[in-house]
Amino acid sequence: MKTVGERKNHLRFEFGPVALRFHRGRAVLFACLAVALALSAIAALATGSGQAGLGEVLAYLSEPGRTAEPSLSVIGDLRLPRVAMALACGAMLGLAGAALQTLTRNGLADPGLLGVREGASLAVISLMLAFPGAPLMARPIAGMAGGLCVALVALAIARSLSRMRFILVGIGISWFLSAVLAVILTAADVDRIQAAMIWMAGSLAGTQREMLPIAFVSLAIGGGVLAVTARAADASLLGEKAAIGLGVWMGGLRMASLSAPILMTAAAVSCAGSLGFVGLVAPHLARLLLGGGQGMLLAGSAVFGAGLVLTADTIGRTLFAPLQIPAGIVLAVIGVSLLAILIWRRRNEM
Amino acid sequence: MRVGTHRRQTRWLWLFCAVMTIPLLALVHLSTGPQTITAGTVVEALTAFDPRSFPHQVLMNIRLPRLLGALMCGASLAMAGLLLQSLLRNPLGEPHILGMNAGASLAIVVSATLPAALQPVGSARPLLAAIGGGALFLLVFLIASAGRVGLTMTKLVFCGIALSALASALVSAILILDQDTLEAVRLWLVGDLAGVSRSGIGAALPVMAAAALAAVLIAPRLDAMTLGDTAATGLGVPVRSTRIIGLCAAAALSGVAVSVAGPIGFIGLIVPGVARKLSGGAHLAALAFAAAAGAALLLAADIVARTVLPSREIATGIMTALVGAPVFLSFVARTIK
Repeated sequence: MKTVGERKNHLRFEFGPVALRFHRGRAVLFACLAVALALSAIAALATGSGQAGLGEVLAYLSEPGRTAEPSLSVIGDLRLPRVAMALACGAMLGLAGAALQTLTRNGLADPGLLGVREGASLAVISLMLAFPGAPLMARPIAGMAGGLCVALVALAIARSLSRMRFILVGIGISWFLSAVLAVILTAADVDRIQAAMIWMAGSLAGTQREMLPIAFVSLAIGGGVLAVTARAADASLLGEKAAIGLGVWMGGLRMASLSAPILMTAAAVSCAGSLGFVGLVAPHLARLLLGGGQGMLLAGSAVFGAGLVLTADTIGRTLFAPLQIPAGIVLAVIGVSLLAILIWRRRNEM
Repeated sequence: MRVGTHRRQTRWLWLFCAVMTIPLLALVHLSTGPQTITAGTVVEALTAFDPRSFPHQVLMNIRLPRLLGALMCGASLAMAGLLLQSLLRNPLGEPHILGMNAGASLAIVVSATLPAALQPVGSARPLLAAIGGGALFLLVFLIASAGRVGLTMTKLVFCGIALSALASALVSAILILDQDTLEAVRLWLVGDLAGVSRSGIGAALPVMAAAALAAVLIAPRLDAMTLGDTAATGLGVPVRSTRIIGLCAAAALSGVAVSVAGPIGFIGLIVPGVARKLSGGAHLAALAFAAAAGAALLLAADIVARTVLPSREIATGIMTALVGAPVFLSFVARTIK
């Protein structure tokens, strides 16, 4: 990676095919946010039931692998996977939301509202019930297939990406799919439902260590695709004709900015169940606090998404301890308040 | 004039058909279940009840309340949908979409966490559900009607979905934190007629009757209001008070349904469009038709829910969502730009 001073107050990063330019002030702000995220991750590692505080976290981080002491094994075996999963899923959902909002040019787009989440859930649940012995790796693949199918059906019914209709069709499809999901769960054997129910609740409590590589690889692939197309996405906001004139391959851009969110949503759903509203809220926070082009929006959404899920999970597991509130519920309360504000701000154009 | 008479005749013919399907469906409904009871035994139990006979006991104590619950909820939800669609001039006006079901659920779950001395008794429960549903709908309505363009279909649906999600999240949080409440409302919360009780029906009946009466009384005014608010005011119709009465009646009707059977959606979306078309536009006939068709539809849905899977029951609310969501999709695909 090389940094080239280009315009005044701008930083330009080049990394292979990715070339992003950031406003210097925004970059500093973003760095502050990233540091805040890292600090809250450490704080999340230090909180919870059990005798393991900040000292133990620092001891563990300075010398990982030292899990002989019980207080350190709590951090390494229980809290670290959970915090890492929260960060990865949050970042994926934030990125997916940002990409979909740019693609549909609609600030209300969210993988959950578009039905992609239910499609992925349905595919994963069917896989878990039909083939209980299937490897964990198969889950995100099934989820991706399901999410893609739903997105294509929604597109076929709505016939247009950038209209309000696309989102309303997505809502209708997600209602239908959750009813189908409920029928499948009713019809399945009771002893097989248990695993599916735990997963469905959308909680990070059941984080499995083996899923972590899947989450981070999906995050890397999806984030990479979106970073590569960020400049083109910026250009596409000028309108299709202008973008084609600037040399943007619109078909490829659309494909990338529809498939990358589906990949990441499916991965997040297969790892942590359904966490709603992250993809809706994170991009708006990023726009509000950071501003800037698509590159900044993506980076900011990833950080805010990760922070949101981490905060929601930490609140959920500590506020009413020993009872745990699933992160999805905390997120709904935060997300809906913001959705109401968004609708209010767009009251003249909806 | 011949055309008019002909139309009026077909209108009542349709209504007659809808009403006549109900006893037929009711007979099927009573005889299906974990143990099939023959139609003859059903008639026998209804005419000459024998307390020593086990099938008679099952029919009178379990299946008959469920049948009555289905009839009440179907009729209430369809009438509530019709009122909402007329008053909001919006084909997506439906208690579930507009947040009434979620608000009513939240009110009932909150009341279930109260100490026993403060628990609502009798008709207070359906009324409480109606107030909860009405309050959440009022919020949806206020946010959605803000702005220069006023109330639009898109804004209404979005606000409804958003606030319903908030209410459901609060309901889930309460249930996770309070195990006793979860036990008390678990079955009811998925929208299942299996949990219908005799006392629940008895408590809901007066509320339902009052709301239905109010709807019937304002029906002629609603006819005038289809011409537009200005024309209706010119005809001497008090538009504002009619609207308030109508919305209160809709909230009460959906609250009744929620208090009896839990949040069952989409009946109010499917039925009123058909009812209005077949009844020729007059609100009195449309209300009657919607009530009959809604009751018949929910009965049919409940029969399917109980029989389609061997040895397992699907919650009734899930069946109505399976039919209702595609109807919503076709509305959206046809009417929203």
